Amino acid sequence: MRTNRLSGCLGVLCLLVASPGWAQGGAQVYAIRGGTIYTVSGDPIESGTVLIQGGLITAVGANVSVPAGAVVYEAAGLQVYPGLFDAMSRLGLTEIGQVTVTSDMNELGEYNPHLLAATAIHPASEIIPVTRANGITHAVAAPTGGSGGIGGQGSLIHLDGWTVEEMLIEPSVGMVLNWPSLGGGRGFRRRGPPRPFAERKERHDKQVAQLESWLEASRHYARAMASGSPPRRDLRLEALGRVASGELPFLVMANSDREITEALEFAERNNVRIIIAGGREAWKVADLLAEKQVPVILGATQALPSGEDDGYDQAYANPGQLYEAGVKFGFATFGASNSRTLPYEAAMAVPYGLPWEEALKAVTINSAEILGVGDRLGTIETGKIANVIVTTGDPLNIQTEVRFVFVNGQPIDLQNKHQSLYEKYRARR
Amino acid sequence: MQRIGFLKPSPSWMRTTIALLGVAVFAATAASAQTAAPPRHFAIRGARIVTGAGNTIDGGTIVLEDGLITAVGRNVTVPAGAWVIEGEGLTVYPGLIDGLSTLGLPASLRVSERGRRPGFGGGGGGGGEGQQGADQPPFSRGPEDRPATTPWINAADELQIDDDSLATWRNAGFTSAMVVPEKGLFPGQGALINLAGDRPRDMVVKTPVALRVTLSSGGASRGYPGALLGVFAYIKQVFFDAAHYDQAWSIYERSPQGMERPVYDRALEPLRDALNARQWVMLPGTWAREIRRAINTGEEVGVSTLVYGAHQGYQVADVLAEHNVPVLVSLDWPHRDRNADPDADEALRVLRFRDRAPTTPSVFVQAGVQFAFYSDGITAPRTVMNNVRRAIGNGLSEDDALRALTLSPAEIFGVADRLGSLEVGKIANVVVTDGDLFDAETKVQMVFVDGRKFDVDETVTTVARGGRGGRGDSEQGEEGGDVGPMGPPLPMVNDRGPINPTAVTVIQNATILTVTHGTIENGSILIRDGKIAEVGQNITVPSGARVIDGTGKFVSPGIIDAHSHLAADAINEGSVAVSAMVGIEDVLNPDQIGIYRALAGGVTTANVLHGSANPIGGRNAVIKLRWGADAPGLLFEDAMPGIKFALGENTKRDREPDRYPATRMGVQDVIRQAFIEAQQYRSDWQEYEQSRASGNENVIPPRRDLKHETLVEVLEGKRLVHAHSYRADEILQLLRLAEEFGFRIATFQHVLEGYKVAKEIAEHGAGASTFSDWWAYKVEAYDAIPHNAALMTEKGVVVSINSDSGEEIRHLNQEAAKAMKWGGLSEDEALKLVTLNPARQLRIDDRVGSIEVGKDADLAIFSAHPLSIYAVVEQTFIDGQLYFDREHDRSLREALKQEKEALKEKHKGGRPERITTDDTLDGGREKVR
Repeated sequence: MRTNRLSGCLGVLCLLVASPGWAQGGAQVYAIRGGTIYTVSGDPIESGTVLIQGGLITAVGANVSVPAGAVVYEAAGLQVYPGLFDAMSRLGLTEIGQVTVTSDMNELGEYNPHLLAATAIHPASEIIPVTRANGITHAVAAPTGGSGGIGGQGSLIHLDGWTVEEMLIEPSVGMVLNWPSLGGGRGFRRRGPPRPFAERKERHDKQVAQLESWLEASRHYARAMASGSPPRRDLRLEALGRVASGELPFLVMANSDREITEALEFAERNNVRIIIAGGREAWKVADLLAEKQVPVILGATQALPSGEDDGYDQAYANPGQLYEAGVKFGFATFGASNSRTLPYEAAMAVPYGLPWEEALKAVTINSAEILGVGDRLGTIETGKIANVIVTTGDPLNIQTEVRFVFVNGQPIDLQNKHQSLYEKYRARR
Repeated sequence: MQRIGFLKPSPSWMRTTIALLGVAVFAATAASAQTAAPPRHFAIRGARIVTGAGNTIDGGTIVLEDGLITAVGRNVTVPAGAWVIEGEGLTVYPGLIDGLSTLGLPASLRVSERGRRPGFGGGGGGGGEGQQGADQPPFSRGPEDRPATTPWINAADELQIDDDSLATWRNAGFTSAMVVPEKGLFPGQGALINLAGDRPRDMVVKTPVALRVTLSSGGASRGYPGALLGVFAYIKQVFFDAAHYDQAWSIYERSPQGMERPVYDRALEPLRDALNARQWVMLPGTWAREIRRAINTGEEVGVSTLVYGAHQGYQVADVLAEHNVPVLVSLDWPHRDRNADPDADEALRVLRFRDRAPTTPSVFVQAGVQFAFYSDGITAPRTVMNNVRRAIGNGLSEDDALRALTLSPAEIFGVADRLGSLEVGKIANVVVTDGDLFDAETKVQMVFVDGRKFDVDETVTTVARGGRGGRGDSEQGEEGGDVGPMGPPLPMVNDRGPINPTAVTVIQNATILTVTHGTIENGSILIRDGKIAEVGQNITVPSGARVIDGTGKFVSPGIIDAHSHLAADAINEGSVAVSAMVGIEDVLNPDQIGIYRALAGGVTTANVLHGSANPIGGRNAVIKLRWGADAPGLLFEDAMPGIKFALGENTKRDREPDRYPATRMGVQDVIRQAFIEAQQYRSDWQEYEQSRASGNENVIPPRRDLKHETLVEVLEGKRLVHAHSYRADEILQLLRLAEEFGFRIATFQHVLEGYKVAKEIAEHGAGASTFSDWWAYKVEAYDAIPHNAALMTEKGVVVSINSDSGEEIRHLNQEAAKAMKWGGLSEDEALKLVTLNPARQLRIDDRVGSIEVGKDADLAIFSAHPLSIYAVVEQTFIDGQLYFDREHDRSLREALKQEKEALKEKHKGGRPERITTDDTLDGGREKVR
């Protein structure tokens, strides 16, 4: 994709690219000129221009003039979109799935509210350049954790940066809580009989009670800290206090309707903010979610129905049904190496009831709003962070090529491990 | 393993003994009671006598003397010496026979609760008990280790007279049972016994009558066979070994001099009897597909098959009748798992099964299938009778019900000349009741076994047994109560099979993507008798044809998946490094919902492969997704057979205990050794054939070996090798190895680094079947690139995109589209990746893969160009029949929902009990690569 970059600056003085401003981005102005701009915040702008400076979008419109000295990206015949947002991923936290030493997403111990994904994000992961080459510009990297436990806090990052400090948009957007499962409880490869339900229920109830007592403890801790004689510092309670106070939401991993319902009741009972993550059976409780105004970060649309008797297309239809019910949702891959397939998860829902515009929002602005950064990301508007992509067409369709990517206001080299290997072995005779 | 010793008096044992002594009749448990027993000479006078031989005598008399029936009739003179029982108000029946049981057998020969259901579980690792700690069962490395195989055990030699359950069953009117060990793959031989006697040997009526085979080792072995795949291969191999053994010994006995003697094998001795039709071979089968497997297996190995289980027999009665296979029907009708989540959704498939299982007996009567009932581990005889009543409520006549408990089992076990009806000369096994046997209020008054009289002690109604985990005494009170609805089955929505089958169909005015002859705008396709008869722009619609308006739609050839694990009950026989003896065909599951879901993705053909746990895996099955067909009906007729190989990480991963290989060096060594052995096997046979041809009669043939046999087919180019692979170097090594042995690799599967050695793959002539864009899930997938398909295509390799996933199979068209984005394939080239190319790789391109006159009418109609992510499959045709229709699917949903609700309503409140759902994978294994 290096050639694309070059073609992008063919129309201007390429010398400018080599100026010191390039490295810092400070004063350098970038102009994306002549494309159809899908701002997401409003109607598309034909033959529009986007100006970028100092990491931000400084102007958007049909009649924006390009200042002298700007590096111009000719986008005539191309389309301009906000960069895509993988609202929950493992990017930077894992490299090779089956090699556990390359994974930093699952810490030991059940309750780790104080752990922060950003601490472990590996900026040099080969997966990151591969992902952004398909138009994903930012993502939440979130830890996992065990059933019924708290895995840690998810960090919102740009998919570019020499260090994690350069990548960070928001160190913490929420705390991962894996809703206690009542599931089958069968062993490896479903061998052996399931554990009796009564046993599973008992364990589940105990886990829920544990969570409640943790929250109570954190509130007590906060009160004690505010008092004249603070107790010894406890990082876990301190971190959990941010959820207890409503500052941070719980990112509740819940897929079945029962799990979701239980989580909603839990949130109400304990007066905490939650975002449902996963949401495979959210369609079954769509009205409830809408009523409680609890948003959902949806997992794969390209998934099997959860029940044998569910419609074959139930997973495809889930987002459309949530939209109909008025539930706010965004898409996420919950993965790393497959993060680049995010747009297809959204696209899959379109012929099954989700309007295309809504699918686009669900990979851009919705996730930003759900995670509290809607004022900074998710649309092409003046003042927002300049995470912008330029494509040959609909970014959700497979054949569309991503021509230019801007992350944090910087044009990105789209070269990556895959492209390099392709070029290298294509040349083999 | 014996948790409660049967020799140790338990409280219930004590109760039983005391009760029996109290009524001063002979008690099987105590020799001293004999003194209280009257002479065996009785006459029941003035009773209603149901002879079970076709007639009922009101006010009749039956005389029992010295263990035999000496007179039955209306005008029978009561002998002077007989103890006369006034039969006013009583009904006399032949003693009931439990067609299959473990009564009187020690716990060591029985299986705990979890492993009991026939056909459930995959053997090997599934058994559970005894697997922890130092008490591990032996590890089996192949059929030669004879895992969990003890056919020499004869139930007749193991009977325990002090089993208190004998009295329990007698009290309920059961006077005989066919008892057989149940633990292991070949647990032993059965005996028909009477349920009373002074000594164990007094009880035996006939032995052996049946050799039992199960599909689970019940924890009695580890290792091979580790999956249902291996279980079937093992069962067959053992019978082939027995046939060879039989032959070898007879040749040897003819002229032992100058010949090395065959090795004695006690496991094979009893199988010789079975092969010579001197006893039944009992094979389990609960679901229809399992029953078919039992029939096929029995026929393949050449034995007389007796199927047991048969709850879904209602679906295969015609097959059983056609093959003349008798059946033992389990009376333990399916019910909900007691341990299940009460709110968990149960599949309609399971509810239907539960609803219809009790219709099996009546369907058998209509189809002419010979059957007998058996208690199948039910511990309360009252439950057995309640469950017989459910069969009656589902259409079985009382006469036929009685027959299935008396004469029919007697006939099946070859004792109808002495048991099963009240006829002069037969054994005096008699049950006397105060009313109709099948009336819930009726009580058994007395029972005669071998002419000995037993009064009924009502306090003993339940078997108290050790070793039956999860089915203890405490539940038994409930067991006799609510046993489920008695009424007939609810109507079923027809949701399987072709929709409105027609011989002629025309698809009109569509965009036709022929794949081989370009795109035809506004085109039509004429389908006749399953084939594409015409393709073009001007087609006359024959009268009577189904016409499909294709305006705005796109027709593509049916999608073909070159790598799937759909529709199989087991995938990996990973217990051994070479499992060429196993085959997917043995475990096909046509009921798996994944088939329908794949159809809804436009898929019409799939290559169902063994997993990648071992360097040489099992045989494949190429299937068409004919939803609603039985397992044989899924098979792609005459598709060239294949076998799965695997290289790299999956094959060498750590296993318990250590299994060679652990390196890529070892992987290649395993494959090379296997072919050297196969070559030797082939030459042994050639040598034998030559020796025979030269007139030498006294040569023992080589043993037939399913593993070597399969690999010889590979050497001879009759079987395709589909090799799971990732890294370039391992791909190259296998190419060279194949060349060393003179065969060609048909396809490399996954082949994620194929782009690095595309030149070599192309030169060898192998195909490549890859994923679109998966990578980095393991080290050998770290260099995977989404350009792989395009780059290999560019370098001359025939490439396909496969799913290896029950989910991804549903949008292979989209996966193919990715090769346009990454590497720039044209639309036609991309579409070929999931149509013509996989057909070529599977050598079925003369039948499918493109839209051409003469090919099978396997088609998918899309709402938009199939390479668009927004395209939706609207209809899928196989052999010209409509197997999926989006509109039809939607129109059925409400009716299916109502049917399910009605079933739930009907069956709610039934006692929750143990597992009754089968262990079917739902085809939803996500991305297990």
